[in-house]
Amino acid sequence: MPFTTLNSRMVEARIAPGQRMFSQRGAMLGYRGDVTFTPNIQGGQGGLGSMLGRRIAGESTPLMTVEGNGTVMFGHGGHHVQVVDLTGDTLYVEADRLLAFDGSLSQGTMFMGAQGGVMGMVRGQVTGQGLFTTTLAGHGSVAVMAHGGVIELPITPQRPVHVDPQAYVAHRGEVRNRLSTAIGWREMIGRGSGEAFQLELSGQGTVYVQASEEKL
Amino acid sequence: MLVQEFTSIRPIVTAAPTITAPGAAGPARAGGAGAAPGRKPCPGRPPTATVCRVAQFRLQGSKVLAVDLAGDAVKAKNGAMVAYDGQMTFKKMTGGGEGLRGMVTRRLTGEQMTVMEVKGQGTCYFADRASEINLVRLQGEKLFVEASNLLCTEAALHTGTTFTGLRGASQGNGLFTTTVEGHGQAALTSDGPAVVLRVTKQYPLQVDPGAYIAHTGRLKQHFQSGVNFRTLIGEGSGEAFQIRFEGEGLVYVQPSERNTLGGEV
Repeated sequence: MPFTTLNSRMVEARIAPGQRMFSQRGAMLGYRGDVTFTPNIQGGQGGLGSMLGRRIAGESTPLMTVEGNGTVMFGHGGHHVQVVDLTGDTLYVEADRLLAFDGSLSQGTMFMGAQGGVMGMVRGQVTGQGLFTTTLAGHGSVAVMAHGGVIELPITPQRPVHVDPQAYVAHRGEVRNRLSTAIGWREMIGRGSGEAFQLELSGQGTVYVQASEEKL
Repeated sequence: MLVQEFTSIRPIVTAAPTITAPGAAGPARAGGAGAAPGRKPCPGRPPTATVCRVAQFRLQGSKVLAVDLAGDAVKAKNGAMVAYDGQMTFKKMTGGGEGLRGMVTRRLTGEQMTVMEVKGQGTCYFADRASEINLVRLQGEKLFVEASNLLCTEAALHTGTTFTGLRGASQGNGLFTTTVEGHGQAALTSDGPAVVLRVTKQYPLQVDPGAYIAHTGRLKQHFQSGVNFRTLIGEGSGEAFQIRFEGEGLVYVQPSERNTLGGEV
């Protein structure tokens, strides 16, 4: 059930019996039809193990399960909403940026150290992503929030993309990321250009970048 | 009747002369950067490097500025880069890149701006707190803009400071403003999409100091106040101060008001 964008900050999802979807708690703006919202203490899919995993990883955002028959509108905090359609690939995104997603997607957490070891953990700290990030895989749609509009930048093996860690929103595909530093003597004496840390993304995929350096 | 007359007097210059993004001005969002048609003339890649020597400014949506660089440089607000591909170096320009004299002037006038020089090959994307971006092409004229609203300029443009008088103080921006001069493009930020209003000899323009962002042309500005006894007893309309522009030129106004001295009265 794909999302339809009503305007840049609101999406509408159609929900049919037997289907379910997850959304951030309190993000429902309105609905038509017979729809129920139940708080999901597990914070998403999987059993008790997944819930514990998310709790420990700090990637547990209060979610609710949406079920029934009708259409539901979502929006939160006036943030721009970007709809990402997944076709078998994996989206890497912070849990608090997730507005809503299909129940058909499988949710997981990824340890940042799994990509790049200790540097991966350092990267997580610098970018404010923490040590863990959320992954969504499978076929379905995800609504992701960002401050300001989002642009999609394609990543190809010949063309790696560098992103300001604060403006990074999400990425998908076979992408390796690496924290590149450009710290010279200028930064040491407090005369930096403000671009000391960059996230270098290389491989094949897409990165989503927001038009702002603000966190949500 | 009255409304009709009013609208016919002042043509709102909707983007025509100023917002010039060669090829890809529209919301080129879906396809991403690689698919944007405006990219072709200046890919910054060796095999197809043709005639492009200067930086190309394009808008990606309305809040992200994409600049194609082929070995040349642009000046941008410190920390405004959100993404880039290719090779880029970022270097802070101490004192706004105006030399020692400029630096001292900026310190003294309080019109400090931290600017970095971005140099390299590829495409660099700039954005600032999700504010709207307006492209201005300058052909020798002088643009007066607040330092906080200046996002990016071509290297060929000169920046400096100028005295604004009482207007500056009322805007909450100090007594001085930044000038940009030369041939090339500059990108201004505004809180909400800016309108460009034309001022002619017959039709002067009054602007709320908090909504003013920039102007070009030969304009004289006065500060006018509508303070009366109502204001003094706290029953003011909130429009106690205005800037009056007279002459020939364009004024950029944003649909939002900064906190100003006159904003409350």
